[in-house]
Amino acid sequence: MRILIVEDDALLGDAIQAGLKQSGYAVDWVRDGALADQVLATEPFDAAVLDIGLPRLSGLEVLRRLRGRKATLPVLLLTARDTVDDRIQGLDCGADDYLVKPFDMGELTARLRALVRRASGNTGPLLQIHDVELDPAAHRASYQGKPVDLSATEFALLHALMLSAGRVLSRAQLEEKLYAWGEEVESNAIEVHIHHLRRKISPTLIETIRGVGYLVR
Amino acid sequence: MLRKPSLKRHILTLALSAILLVWLAAAIFTYFDARQELNEVLDAHLAQASTLLVAQASHELEEVETDHAPMLHKYSRRIAFQVWEDGRELRLHSANAPQTPLGKQEQGFSDATINGQHWRVFSAWDDSSSLLIHVAEQAEVRDALARNIASNLLRPLWVALPLLAIMIWWAVGGGLRPLTRLTREIEQRAPDNLAPLDATATPAEVTPLVERLNQLFVRIGSTIENERRFTADAAHELRTPIAAIKAQAQVARGATDDAARIHSLDGAIAGCDRATHLIEQLLTLARLENVTADALEPCALHTLAARVMAEIAPAALDKGVHLELADGDEVVIPGLPALLTVMLRNLIDNAIRHTLPGTTVRLEVSSIQGSPCIAVCDDGPGLQQDELEKISRRFYRPPGTAASGSGLGLSIVSRIAEIHGARLSLSSGTSNPGLKVTVSFPHAVQ
Repeated sequence: MRILIVEDDALLGDAIQAGLKQSGYAVDWVRDGALADQVLATEPFDAAVLDIGLPRLSGLEVLRRLRGRKATLPVLLLTARDTVDDRIQGLDCGADDYLVKPFDMGELTARLRALVRRASGNTGPLLQIHDVELDPAAHRASYQGKPVDLSATEFALLHALMLSAGRVLSRAQLEEKLYAWGEEVESNAIEVHIHHLRRKISPTLIETIRGVGYLVR
Repeated sequence: MLRKPSLKRHILTLALSAILLVWLAAAIFTYFDARQELNEVLDAHLAQASTLLVAQASHELEEVETDHAPMLHKYSRRIAFQVWEDGRELRLHSANAPQTPLGKQEQGFSDATINGQHWRVFSAWDDSSSLLIHVAEQAEVRDALARNIASNLLRPLWVALPLLAIMIWWAVGGGLRPLTRLTREIEQRAPDNLAPLDATATPAEVTPLVERLNQLFVRIGSTIENERRFTADAAHELRTPIAAIKAQAQVARGATDDAARIHSLDGAIAGCDRATHLIEQLLTLARLENVTADALEPCALHTLAARVMAEIAPAALDKGVHLELADGDEVVIPGLPALLTVMLRNLIDNAIRHTLPGTTVRLEVSSIQGSPCIAVCDDGPGLQQDELEKISRRFYRPPGTAASGSGLGLSIVSRIAEIHGARLSLSSGTSNPGLKVTVSFPHAVQ
């Protein structure tokens, strides 16, 4: 899953990036509102963490423009302003959730998981397709009731496919979900991870649509 | 308990005292005036009476049987007369007249004391100079009359005073009503209600008070608003570094490799440093709120600048920034050395934070047309024209600022300049484009 962080504070942005990476997300970080607006208009993300007080363009304005483009991307607002009015304004601008600084990294990741889950149409915390069960919070996967040991990238890949169950995801789309900018992606990386997943879980779990991409049904 | 002075009581006391005083003065004046008038009139009466007596006595003395004249009026008891034949034999006298001559003189007015009583006497001879006539009147009568007139004047006062008191009380109450209304309005105000009072219906005497109050309300309002904004801003500014510290610490706890853990711990420590710096700046600013420019002492700016630069130099060198103090004559100004040190440190610190490594921060102490100046120049990115105006606002940091600062440095500098009556101005530097901050002091030490 790929998350965009928009935060102008160097130390805080660095911490959120590191924390989300620990949870297996691909994380991109921009430090000003105008750049965030550009990136959100052109790149696909699964969720965004948006600070309100930003240089050049405020977080609320970024949000307003995003919703103006009819984008349904889940957005979590991050701010130091905590009056009821501030929260109402933030939510009314199109935010899906709201977190006041200082916050708990665990809570931030949990809220992001909930946002992504709801956005994908799932209501329960566990994703389940056939005999495969995925617990995004605990980073655990099981097949036919038995735990399966997956690497962070394998887990993220399976998570992405299961979130979009029934839809084909291209290799490029999967790469975008798995890797942040600047991260080196080997040309056959996705194929290798798919191969591992098939071996660890079931050869029939992930179907290949040749020349198009992969899907889970 | 001491009773509060009451305006109403005060005015009442003053008015009644004034009335009493004026009335008493009138009575005393009347008393003396009446006595003088009475003296004239009664003297004339005495003279006239004697003339009548002379006229009558000379014709009818032989026919008078009795040596007593009848009492005709209550005052007549106090009037006496004697008719002496040839000035030796008492022929006729009033009942209250003594047997001795009333007057020592034989002609005109005189005062006599007989049996302890004071008499006013008029003496005259008849035409044939055979009869000496004394007509006398007790002086007591005259005084009593004058006193009567004066006390008659005072008598209505005892009725008038309470009446006047009631009327004055009522009138003063009416006159003070706008004040009472104002008092009630202010009393009933909610403590946070700073809306202006209505000054249109108030009388001219009270209007300045209302206007001053309204000005005060505006000032208090803006002070409160400022404080509120400052507190909110301060809390906001503190939340970000604390959020960073917490997030970094949590990331460090969850890190699987040492490099990542150390990176996060370093981040947490840097966050602590930033929070500390911010808190120190906030405290400095808070302390400056109450500083006034008394007890100024001579401060040598050049020496002071050199000392502050020496103090900061190691940190500057760490960042690869050179410090340079321009040569110049010593300039001594009246100032508070501790505050000037804080000011210089903030100016240089700001310049170092925002300039690029490998460049130079220059400080210049000079005296331009008698006005001592400190100027700090850097080769940083400088500021846009619109940002030059916003920069000394509290917590303002220009967009895209990479350097971490509290956003309070220039607020502190600005406040210290204000305490010294100095002017703070910002302009573009000399290169790349740079920023030049100048503090101009009003005058050097005379």
